[in-house]
Amino acid sequence: MSEAPARTLMSDAWRSLRFRPDVIVAAVVLVFFLVMAAFPGLFTSTSPRRCVIGDSRLAPQGFGAEHPFGTDSFGCDLLAQLVHGARPSLLLAFVVVGIALVIGITLGVLAAYYLGWVDKLVTRVIEVLLVIPLLLAAMLLLSLFQGVDVGSGTLGTILLPALVLTMFAWMGYARYVRASVLEVKNHDFVTAARALGASDLRIMTRHLLPNAIGPVTALVPTSIAGVIGAEAVLSFLGIGVRPPAISWGLMISNGSEWVTGGHPHLLLYPLACLVVTVLALVVLGDALRDALDPRLAA
Amino acid sequence: MGRYILRRVLQAVGTLFLVMVVLHLLTTFAIQLNGNPALAFFGEHEPSASQLAAVEKRYGLDDPCYDQVGNPCAGPFVDRLVAYAQGDFGTNLRGRAVTEIVAQSAPHTLRLFVVVTFTWLTIGMVLGSVAARWRGRPADHGIRFTTVLVDALPVFVLLLLYKFVVTVPVHQWARSEFGSESWPALWFRPSFDADHPWATVLIPGILLGVSGSAAFVRLVRASQLESYSGEHVRTARSKGLPERYVVLHHVVRNSSIPVVTAVGLVFTEALAGAVVTEGLMNINGMGGVLWGAVKGSDVSLVLGVVTLLAVVTVVVMIVVDVLYAALDPRIRYE
Amino acid sequence: MRQARITTAAAAGFAAVALVATGCSAGGGDAVTEEPATVHLALNQDVGTLLPMDSNVDDNIAVLDVVYDGLVRYDPETTEPYNYVAEEISTEDNTVWTITIKPDLTFQNGEPVDAASFARAWNYAAYGPNAMANNYFFERFVGYDEMQGETDDAGVVTVEPTATELSGVTVVDDHTLEVTLNGPFAGFSTMLGYTGFFPVAEACLEDVEACAVKPIGNGPFQVDEWVQGEKVTASKWADYPLDEAPAFDAVEWTEFAGGSSWADFMAGNLDEGAPGAADLGDVESDPDLAERVVERPGAALTYIGFPLYLSEPWTNIELRKAISMAIDREGIIEAIVPGERVPADSWVVPGGVPGGETGTCEFCTFDPEAAKEALAAAGGWPSGQTLTITAGTDEEEAELFKAIGDSIQETLGVPYELETTEDFSSKRRNREMTGIFRNNWFPDYPVNENYLAPVYASGDPEEGNTNFGYYGAEFEEAIEAGDSAETLEDAVAEYQKAEAALAADFPTVPLWFSVSRSYHSERLSNVILDPFSGQMKLRPLEVAAE
Repeated sequence: MSEAPARTLMSDAWRSLRFRPDVIVAAVVLVFFLVMAAFPGLFTSTSPRRCVIGDSRLAPQGFGAEHPFGTDSFGCDLLAQLVHGARPSLLLAFVVVGIALVIGITLGVLAAYYLGWVDKLVTRVIEVLLVIPLLLAAMLLLSLFQGVDVGSGTLGTILLPALVLTMFAWMGYARYVRASVLEVKNHDFVTAARALGASDLRIMTRHLLPNAIGPVTALVPTSIAGVIGAEAVLSFLGIGVRPPAISWGLMISNGSEWVTGGHPHLLLYPLACLVVTVLALVVLGDALRDALDPRLAA
Repeated sequence: MGRYILRRVLQAVGTLFLVMVVLHLLTTFAIQLNGNPALAFFGEHEPSASQLAAVEKRYGLDDPCYDQVGNPCAGPFVDRLVAYAQGDFGTNLRGRAVTEIVAQSAPHTLRLFVVVTFTWLTIGMVLGSVAARWRGRPADHGIRFTTVLVDALPVFVLLLLYKFVVTVPVHQWARSEFGSESWPALWFRPSFDADHPWATVLIPGILLGVSGSAAFVRLVRASQLESYSGEHVRTARSKGLPERYVVLHHVVRNSSIPVVTAVGLVFTEALAGAVVTEGLMNINGMGGVLWGAVKGSDVSLVLGVVTLLAVVTVVVMIVVDVLYAALDPRIRYE
Repeated sequence: MRQARITTAAAAGFAAVALVATGCSAGGGDAVTEEPATVHLALNQDVGTLLPMDSNVDDNIAVLDVVYDGLVRYDPETTEPYNYVAEEISTEDNTVWTITIKPDLTFQNGEPVDAASFARAWNYAAYGPNAMANNYFFERFVGYDEMQGETDDAGVVTVEPTATELSGVTVVDDHTLEVTLNGPFAGFSTMLGYTGFFPVAEACLEDVEACAVKPIGNGPFQVDEWVQGEKVTASKWADYPLDEAPAFDAVEWTEFAGGSSWADFMAGNLDEGAPGAADLGDVESDPDLAERVVERPGAALTYIGFPLYLSEPWTNIELRKAISMAIDREGIIEAIVPGERVPADSWVVPGGVPGGETGTCEFCTFDPEAAKEALAAAGGWPSGQTLTITAGTDEEEAELFKAIGDSIQETLGVPYELETTEDFSSKRRNREMTGIFRNNWFPDYPVNENYLAPVYASGDPEEGNTNFGYYGAEFEEAIEAGDSAETLEDAVAEYQKAEAALAADFPTVPLWFSVSRSYHSERLSNVILDPFSGQMKLRPLEVAAE
């Protein structure tokens, strides 16, 4: 009986969401880019790492030609870069938000359930992290692990930015979860469960968590969108994904100077991908929040 | 209330101490793992032994603990704490006092933040209120769509476009039309001018503010929607109060609470935007100083500046908490 | 040497016309008072100091060039040195040099510019614990070693320096200075115009920190104020006794600290500008602007180093040749930095300094077929290995080295990774490189020797030189022969042999030389660029009234 309210909430949300046209469009867009990230071979057969300097900055040639979207300053195929750049950008966002969620929910529940020193410790850590500027931490951590070989695979190239962004992404979830657990903690069903001899772990995972997870779920798409944007800024500052690895953020950062130089396509294609993805995620996030928050139901 | 503030201040001191410990450990390990930043000081030339020793001293790295990986270097940390407690925040590599550097650059950044905060609040309150008032209507959808679009646009793209597409022709035109010291010419100057700090920081600040305003619009909208369906609004309406009064006094005023909280929270985040804006618009501010210091491994400058920044942030947080308590009678001070 | 970035001080344009049209004064009053002619320039690098002994980047050198006068100055066209503050510089054996100084010269604070003022500056720079950037200029002086001390591996001082003054510098009388070098060096007098050899006043050393911010010069301009991080302003020194003084009244340098100043030039706020690759569109669309450009070949050489201190494949000369011939220098320059570099096929800038000639590097042209053959001759690239390319964090350099990696990958099929790191210098010095890496050399004085000895000579057959682990017996001999030659011409010829020995050993791969290019506003004329730094020469500059 205890899980019932959360379940119906979720299924209500699902029912109200699946027929909204904006949600459907957003979902389709997202799936499109996820497929691109997972199977880049479906979209292009050109290697993004093959760059011929003599072919630099060719204008878009249209589909069917050798370089449908043209080439960048190094003579690399822009379409191939876009397609292969999707993976690091999206993977980074999902990894960061995923890990941050786990950390945030765990610490939030623990803090609210046990209170006392656990709560003090968690809130203190949150406060410390809020005071340290993200960018400074990014620089320091980056120089800290400079000598460490992280490999050149996709995971390797995003490891450092992922680490830094995760460190600073979980606090929001922890605060939310802590607040909502505090709210439901003293409800009858929790007291009842405790009286029946349920273990702390069981109470937390079976009774508290499902109730706390709703409001946090709504935050997820927006956070993913935020991380994709943050990656672009880190790339622009030269501390994100580094060349010759590719990401949308890096492409935007490299392309931005060429808008006035007569080659706007270098900026516009990656920017369009990023904006559309972020837009889709935010639409989903908003819809999810509306659906999950019964108080907002008109 | 007094006891509440006192407790918050004590907590804040603890937080500050922890921040300093964390930063000290991070920089120490970075130095131990990566070797001596003093070497980079000499570029292509090989420094002589005593030169290297002298520069290490300048970097504050002459303590042998910096050569031992894993050593937390407690000695230098305590020395630094003692110096800070006496108001001595050290010097940069060129012997310039950190406090002097901060005193010069902080006002520029503060001006930027003032413009940014003002933009956030204005855009957030106006657009958020409109969106909430006409929820589900075209105005609401339009506002949400636009803010998300602006939000998705990385701030540096916005600033680069502004700097390289807009400023040059507009500034030239304004100069020829009104003179080079006129307001319009200064507003659209391609880079910051310390002789006219407010005029030349205005538009970059607004752009930075606009690019971060989406979160505020969303926040205001959400909190006002909550208010519209809240008991007190229903009560007020049922008492027959005019809609205008209800909206202004019960909805808009209540939504200011989370907004004030959010301003406090995004303060450090805004520093990332400040680094980008200051770099592109050539503003000699805190973001740029910190950025340069980290890149140049100027350890004492980094730690000095961050400590000062942390003090400011903590103070802002306390003020926000106190404001929060003052604005919302439901919050108790235990 | 200085880590020369090819930045040219920027400046600005259209302003002049617009200003004249509006009568220039902001208030718009009719009484046009005689405004002082001010040149507005940019400092694109981070300038840390204005102390001559410590100034070693293009931008503070450019400022100090009008604030201080050196013993010699260089002809902007031929780079030939001529005496300026020095009356005469003479030597019998290229080891002991006698310098006499013109009488009645003073610093801007009234102190005399005499033999003691030079000795003072040189001793300060040479004393190790002062950690001056230009310390290494005095390596050839007798008594230099005693001023350096020793440290152990951890950097702790074990032996303090035993001297605070160069024993090789003697003040003979007020206006005569005697310098004794460790050995003969024919090019010594050509070094003396460099910033590191400027004199300083006594008051300067009494408060070095103040003097680093507000120099006490002996040149035609004095620094009025330096708001650090923002701008430097300088104006004419009324009592300047010599004749090479600028024809305008003041200069204002705005600091850009690595940012772009092109938009400010285009908007008319600066008198000089250097466009980035993406800004060239502006230039093409403005034919008027295309006429206000001054270009001259620069002197900075960018080249690739190999970790010769490791074993195969780096020690295999065929592999080094293969990499060199696999790089499409021209294509890379055209795409990334059009007009700002010229492909290099020598280790010494051709025409820029005595002894510099083109074509000394046989394997420095892009030749995919020959490159593949050379790689095959080297036994191929170890399969499964990735070529690491290490460069500093400068954005433009990172782009250039990515393009180099692409070019090698395309030609030789060798996969690469690019490592851009802050610790570039210390990694190189500590011999931690695992692949090829970027190097840049900027000459400090105009002799071909400066491209060779400081970079490659070590006298250590076992370990080789620090950065590359290179040792060439023939090379070392030629350098020694040059140093002890009778005349500068003979010396230059010997140094050329050293370059030939280097070409045979092929320890490094020359990539390209810098090109200085500067756009200026309509009010400037007689714009001449410095042959070394590429900075606009301020002294001959002519400025039309605002």
